[in-house]
Amino acid sequence: MMKLHNKEDLSLTLEDLRPRVVEKEGFSSFFMPPRHPSLLFDPAKCTGCGTCEMICSTRNTSRVAPSSASIKVVIDEKRAKVFSIYCQHCRKPLCIEACPTRALSKGKDGIVRIDTLFCTDCGLCTLACPAAAPLKDPGSGDIHKCDLCEGEPLCVNHCPENALTFTRGKLLRWIKGVRWTVQVTSFFLLVFVLIGTFCYFKAGAVSLSCPTGTLQNIASSGTIVLIGVSSALFLLLLTILAGRIFCGWVCPFGFILDLLGTIIPKKLGWPSFLKSRMTKYGILAGAVGGSYALGFQAFCTICPIGTLCRSYGVQSFFRSAELTIVPALASLEIAERRSWCRYFCPVGAILGLASTLGIIKIVIGAKKCKKFSCIQCAEVCPMGIIDAAHLRAGISPTIPMTECITCMRCIDRCPYGAAKIRFRWQKAVPSEAQP
Amino acid sequence: MTNRSETLSKKIAEAKKSSGAHGCVECGRCVAVCPMAEMYTNFSIEISPRGIIKKTLMDDSVADDTSIWYCTECNAGTDVCPQGVSCRDLIRSLREAVIDEGKREHTKTCPSCSRVFVAIPVEHFVRTRLNEEPPEVFDTLALCPPCRRELYLVRNS
Repeated sequence: MMKLHNKEDLSLTLEDLRPRVVEKEGFSSFFMPPRHPSLLFDPAKCTGCGTCEMICSTRNTSRVAPSSASIKVVIDEKRAKVFSIYCQHCRKPLCIEACPTRALSKGKDGIVRIDTLFCTDCGLCTLACPAAAPLKDPGSGDIHKCDLCEGEPLCVNHCPENALTFTRGKLLRWIKGVRWTVQVTSFFLLVFVLIGTFCYFKAGAVSLSCPTGTLQNIASSGTIVLIGVSSALFLLLLTILAGRIFCGWVCPFGFILDLLGTIIPKKLGWPSFLKSRMTKYGILAGAVGGSYALGFQAFCTICPIGTLCRSYGVQSFFRSAELTIVPALASLEIAERRSWCRYFCPVGAILGLASTLGIIKIVIGAKKCKKFSCIQCAEVCPMGIIDAAHLRAGISPTIPMTECITCMRCIDRCPYGAAKIRFRWQKAVPSEAQP
Repeated sequence: MTNRSETLSKKIAEAKKSSGAHGCVECGRCVAVCPMAEMYTNFSIEISPRGIIKKTLMDDSVADDTSIWYCTECNAGTDVCPQGVSCRDLIRSLREAVIDEGKREHTKTCPSCSRVFVAIPVEHFVRTRLNEEPPEVFDTLALCPPCRRELYLVRNS
């Protein structure tokens, strides 16, 4: 007699039949990003002719039937605007999560496909999609979703105004190579090689000094030395030209924080009442006021950049108490990346003030930005100033340049060239984000 | 009271005729392809298309059940039915009869166009599946698909 199996042994779940595969990013993606194809749409060129719908429907059915297309032209009569809705092949597709039969999957080529063998046309993918891109054919009831025509999109070829373009995304992430090199060099020079370091550097006639230190100097000593002020101006001038690029590319403490940021896997986050960007201006004011009151440069003694340059290098390796400052403040990284730079650094504060006069800005152009389907810029920004909530709502965010450290990680990461540097007076299209 | 049951009975009788429910042989093919089996842990005969057809044929009170609100109206059951019974049409007519009476407790209305667009158990399933997403996502998902597309247009053109 055959032994009767336990009921549990016979049950199969969807996990057994079609296990979910989680793709992990390999090492090669450090410089060579995965090139996922995508359609870009320019609403300024679209006339609402509907040719894209007509030609797409010939692929889904055997005849021209715009309502059977995988792309939909949405027309707003009141605002006199047209737009086309199609599958964005998101990096983290919500439709795949919602499909009860796991008919949707994202291939290695990045294309999200519906396996018609398992699709029941329930339409839950449309309910889950932020743009409601999977379209229900009113006639047959089938769900049609863009599959990029397996590499040669018909709509792109046939759009009479070239409003639709097909892109595979950028080939190389080169900015990070240059930036890490500059950071390592600057760290090496400022901490180990040069004496006088970041706080005050003098080589013959050339002298550079920290603006925050200079302010504290003026406050504590009560005298203004012109050469001191002009030395401090160098860093401020650099900020006016290139934003807080000192913070992103030169600061040795920033380099330590960036290194820690790559090693620490998951960040715990701060409670929201601690997360005020104005605190660092308060610390700046406190540093200057404290210097005035105490008669010596109050903050400079505990400045992580200063102590890093002084205690860890050539000058003297064992200035005991100072050694603890760098690890203590660097441990803030556990909560958020560059926590020190975001909320506390008075040098960053004064550079932030200088950047209000800055001539450049980083914009995320709405035309090329893939918004909710990508969100890589928000994930990679160390200062956390790219609003992921805006992106998920389908709006390209604006970047506050007083907080931006011009590390250009967003520009490096953006596969579609949406994130770019522009002069402040250059207009971005469309002009302002509409919430 | 009598008025309500009269119009309701009429509508349900009409629904049974137009969907071909009388032809059901209870073979269960519709249940085999039904996506509800994967969606709900409490998937039972009451919620299954076969069960709803059977109950409708016997008892008009099926319109008051919550069981008719789990269906996604995908029409997979109709595709495989050997008798050509449309479970989707039947459930849809039952739902419309309830909505016509003004009962909204089982449906979600789009805040933008005020149209009923999804049944609550279905929407709850989608929410559960997307529970790892941040809360902003659900603001867009509260809209019906056409309003969602229009919002995307407004924000991006």
